[in-house]
Order: sequence, then C-alpha cells, then structure tokens
Amino acid sequence: MKVKRKWIPYTMLLPAFMLVCIFKIYPVISSLMDGFTSHGHFSLEVYKSLLKDATFWNSLWVTIKFNLICIPLQICIAFILAMFANAKVKGIGIFRTIYYLPYAVSLTVATMIWSLMFNYNSGVLNSLLMKLGFSAQGFLNDSKQALFCIIIIATWKGCGYWMMFILAGLKNIDGEIYEAARIDGAGFFHTVFKITLPLLKKVLLFVCVANTSSNVLLFAPMQLITNGGPKNSTDVLMYEAYKSAFKYADRSRSAAIVSVLLAMIILVATLQFFLLGEREEKPKRKRKGR
Amino acid sequence: MKRKNLIAWIMTVALAMTALVGCGNKANEESSDPPAASSEEEPKETDGETEATQITYMTNADFVETLKPIVAKYKEETGVEVVLEGYSMGDLFDVIEVKISGETTDYDVIAVDAPLVSAYVHRGYLEPMTDYFTEEEKAKLTETSVNGGSVDGVFYSPAMNTSSVCMYYNTALLKQAGIEIGEVNPENRMSWDEVLEMARKTLDVVNPDKTNGIYGVEFRQVSRVYQMNMIPNSMGGQNIGEDGFTVDGVLNSKEWIDGMTWYQNLVNEGISSRGIAADELRTMFAAGKIVFMVDTTSLTNYCETNGMEDFDVMPVPAYTGYEDQVATGTGSWHFGINYASANKQAAADFIKWMSIGEGADLWYEGYNQVPTKIAILEEMEKDANLDKSMKIAAYEANNTAFLRAVTPGFNEYQTILNAAWEDVRNGEDVETTLNSAVEQIEAAMEAYK
Repeated sequence: MKVKRKWIPYTMLLPAFMLVCIFKIYPVISSLMDGFTSHGHFSLEVYKSLLKDATFWNSLWVTIKFNLICIPLQICIAFILAMFANAKVKGIGIFRTIYYLPYAVSLTVATMIWSLMFNYNSGVLNSLLMKLGFSAQGFLNDSKQALFCIIIIATWKGCGYWMMFILAGLKNIDGEIYEAARIDGAGFFHTVFKITLPLLKKVLLFVCVANTSSNVLLFAPMQLITNGGPKNSTDVLMYEAYKSAFKYADRSRSAAIVSVLLAMIILVATLQFFLLGEREEKPKRKRKGR
Repeated sequence: MKRKNLIAWIMTVALAMTALVGCGNKANEESSDPPAASSEEEPKETDGETEATQITYMTNADFVETLKPIVAKYKEETGVEVVLEGYSMGDLFDVIEVKISGETTDYDVIAVDAPLVSAYVHRGYLEPMTDYFTEEEKAKLTETSVNGGSVDGVFYSPAMNTSSVCMYYNTALLKQAGIEIGEVNPENRMSWDEVLEMARKTLDVVNPDKTNGIYGVEFRQVSRVYQMNMIPNSMGGQNIGEDGFTVDGVLNSKEWIDGMTWYQNLVNEGISSRGIAADELRTMFAAGKIVFMVDTTSLTNYCETNGMEDFDVMPVPAYTGYEDQVATGTGSWHFGINYASANKQAAADFIKWMSIGEGADLWYEGYNQVPTKIAILEEMEKDANLDKSMKIAAYEANNTAFLRAVTPGFNEYQTILNAAWEDVRNGEDVETTLNSAVEQIEAAMEAYK
C-alpha cells in the first residue's frame, strides 16, 4: 500500500511531463542539433563559419548593448512606478491602470505608433523639436539613435508589466516594519535600500530573469521598423536568427544563433541567481576561548 | 532553499529554451535535399488528383485589386475559384520562405520574383512545368521569359509579365514653375543634369520653405535593387561578378561609389526624400507631391484609377558622359506551382490561362506592364494608339534592359544591398557602406559555393 501511494504523485505528473517533453524539450534538443548539422551530417562547420562572420559579432554586440541599457532601465522605472502605485491615496487604481495600459497594447501596434512619432518627415517628435528651434533628428534613420529609440519603445511597453510584479511584492511587506523604521528615525532612502529592496529580493530576482529572457529575445520592433538598420545598428541576434531561418532558408545558422542566445540567457540568469538569490547564512564560528 | 533555487533555475532555462526554439526548429527535414533541377523529372501522378474547385494564389498585394475581376472571369469560364492572398512585397518573400518551406498545402500558386526562381528551385519550392506546358505552349512566351523561368533547362515558372521603367512627371507642378517638357523619345533622352535643374526650379516655386512635403525626384522602388541599381548600372557598374557570387570589386567599384554618392547628394539637398517607404511613393505621386518619379509602366493605370491626370511620361534620363550606357530595370513576377500543393493540375491550368491564355490579355489591359505573351507583343507593334509609356517600355526592354544579379543567393544579396541603399539614403558614408555590404554578401555567398 505504501509503495502504491509513493507512485501516485509521479503518475499524476506523468501526462503533463510527457506533454512538456514532446512539445518543449524535444523541439529544443532538435533545434540544438540543427546547429551541429551541415548537409545532413554532424559538423562544427556552422559554428566555425558563424565565429568568422562579422555580421554575427556585430549582432552579438548590439544585443549586449541593447540589454545592458534596457534591462536595468526597465527594472528601475518599474520599481519607481511600483513605489508610486503603492501609495495609499484616493483613485490610485486609475494610476495603476494607466501605468499598466501600454502592456495591454499589442507590440506590433505599439511599434507602429512609436514609428509614426519617430518619423523623420512627419513625426510629432521632430515637429516638436523644430517648433522649439532644434534641428530635425534622424531617430530611426540614424545609426547612432535607432537603438535608443527601440529601447524607448521596449521600455514604454514593458515597464507597466514588471511594475505589477514589484507592486505585488511591495504589498507583501508588512507595514509594521516601515512603522518601526520610521520610529527609529530612518529616512526615505535608508528605508528603500535597507528594508524595501532586501525584502523584494525574490520578486526582483524573478523580474530580472524574466525581463532578461524577454528582452534578449525581442526583435519585433527591429523587424517592423528598422530591418536591423541603419548600418546594422539594431540588428540584434534574434533578428539575425529570424533572417537566417525565414529570409535565407538557412536553418542551421539560425539554430546555431539561437543556441548562442540560449547560452547567453543561461549565463545571465545564473549570474542573477548568484547575485540576488537568497543564501543560507553560515553559522558564525564560536570564538575559541583563550 | 538550494533545491528551490535549482528548480527555479531549471524552470527559467526551460522557459527561455521554449521561447527560443521558434526560429531554430527545423520545419522541413527535406529542405536541404530539394527535388533536383534535372531535366529527367519523373512524370507526376496528376491523374489521381481530384478535380479542384478552389485554388489559392499567394501574390503581391499590389496585384490583388487588378486580379479580382480577372479571377472572377476565370471562375465564370472554368468554375474554379481562385482565392487571392496578397502580401506587401517585403512580407511576401518572408511568407514564401516560412510557408512553402514548411510544405504547406494552403497555397497552390505562388508569385515568384524573377531573380528568385533559381533559389526557389534550389530549395525545392517549385513544381516543374514539364508535365503541364508543351513545347508549343512554351513557344507562346518570349524566349527571354522562358529562360528566366527555367533552371538547368527545366521550365519551372512562366512569367506574368516583364517590366521596364520610365520617368513620370507631374505636369501641373512643372507648369507652376513655367516649365513645359516637349516630346522626348529614347533617341534624344534628357540628361539627369537637365532633369535636376527643372526639379530645383520647380521646388523653388512649389515648396520654397521645404515644409509642404513636395519632392523633386524619386525612385518609386526606393532602397530596392530593382530600380536603385539602375544608377550605378547607368554609369557602367555591374551587379555581380561573372561567377554569380563575387561582389568584391564590383559593388565597391568607382561606378557604384559615384552612383550612390550622386543619389545621396539628392537626398541631402532635399530633392529626394528620406524616411519615406517605397510603398508610399505611388500615393504621393498621385497626390501631386512628387515632380519626377522613376517607375514601371503600371503607374499609368494607377494614376488613371486614382484620378490623377496631370502627368506625362518620358524615357529615363542619361548621365552626362555615359549617354550610351543607360540601364533600365527589367524582369518581373512569374507564377510557380507550390511543390506541396494538392491541386497541381488546377494550379497549372490557371497559370496557363494567366500566362498564355485570355488571362494574360486581361492582365495586360488591367495592369499595363510589358507582356511576355508573344501574341500581345505582336498586337502592340501594330497598334498606332499604343500608350506612350508602353512604347517607351518596349524600346527600353529591347535596348537598355539590365538584368538584376543572377545568383542562387539573390535573397541575401538583395536584403543586404537594399539595406545599403537605405543606409546611404540616411546619410551613412558611401564607401564604408558599400565595403560593409560587400563583406556581408561575400560571407553569405559562401553557403552556395
């Protein structure tokens, strides 16, 4: 009887596990294998040519640059928004909805709206700049500005979403802790850095990891409005993988690029777990008596 | 706690992996082993195919409105309904790669851009026409178009039409500047210097403070090799090396640098636009926002349909010092049968009707492109009232037509070079941009050698 009971949870998990294997694990393995396949045989040729490819290195650099700016920016803004949205004032629900609203807009629609605003000839931003006496900016047509325009789009779209997780974390912090800190004379910044952030560690870890996966894989704005340009300045690795698979019919190259992305995400996620994960405190060694 | 972290870590990796596989998943196991472009194709079992009453044609969105009455006529005559699925030109290439490589049976007929016939055959996307077109039927099409739709001697892709380009101009805008262009024919074509002078004068009158969005000179297919390559080609530049792979020394040659610099200067001066997509330019011309525009002959019908009357047409200008090297775009869209289609016979019947049958006549009347059906060309020769743009196009097709790069890596070639044209339009250094494009194309071509 005891043996039977032991197997019940595994039996119940089996159908879901099978589905995960068939629809998730198998395609991943198949994709990884594609990267090592050239003309139907196992080969390192795809990776060799990838490492010699200047376009790949440029895309890798663009991806790193994009994420190094975008991820911290999104998390900082999301945290600030969550702090605002956590305020106990009348009508705060309306503000929360407004902050969250961009996430409810489809990425394609959001991208097209921003592309109209950034338009060199008739965009509202250039009209505004010119009215204020500045010269028209290239924005999406300028290789020095295009990536930052995409970062603005991604940040506008994503912040409200990440804000909701942080807000949920803030709600879980016991108000008595803040009260105690206030009585002890802690200032605003002291409270944020010594109480709020440490108690949000778990939530921030999730937000960091999920945000990294989401941004590393982002390529819709690049595909819709810049095509990786100008001068390959927005040609992120994911877009390069898309082009290889769906424009050039080179699935091996695409699979190899995707594998590199996977390695990148694992590396960054591991680092984030290491930095933000809770570690068990080591018991202090007892001082030996003299 | 450690175990919890490990589980969370595994879940994150699994999530990321799942999201990633979309692009890397092999959709077509056989894509590296396409049906060979051999002349010894085995006969296909078309007899067993059930008679289709509906086929789907994936095509360029620009064609859909003109095609609607034509396919209605086809249904009237044959009972077969042709469902049109139009995609903008940029999207069409991607959709073909995604859907057709995945062996979808959703489409029976696909639109094939002439330079891509070889690539599609190489990837196994197209059914050979061997069983559907007899030699007599093939002879009803121009030899050039049949060659353009063949790979290694096997006929895969009958032409819808070919194309040529002319210089359209807005007579009303020119009139405001007191300019009237007389009769210009290919033997006494204007120079670009003369055209630019007229454009500048006109812009000074109609757009003095450069705020009302009127431009002097545009290439309708801006940042696309079909029309942009005409510039360096008209200065003696080639599109690709003789081996069909080499671009170093070709695309970064003096002719290309001069040609791209000339175009960049037009944009910098405000004569040509920056940041306006190719798909928007026809609308702008019809709205009276462009003085001169290089376009295919189908612009004539577009203007007439959209109520634009103040326009005329002349041959594309020549560059001073290169009068005998005028190059014009050529080649156009072909038809192909999706290799995975379940209605190949019905697809072939429709293609035949559209390329050498009544459909070709209706398409010519409706879209005003240079035909490839010999019977129409013969009628055109006799027609004293032939449309002016078509007269010019017929001359250009025979005398100045310049083929785009013939290479199995055309998709990579055009994607990279289109981006280079756009970069130069946006003000990037010409020589650096061309060298970078050469490096990228050379690397991409390695896969085909």
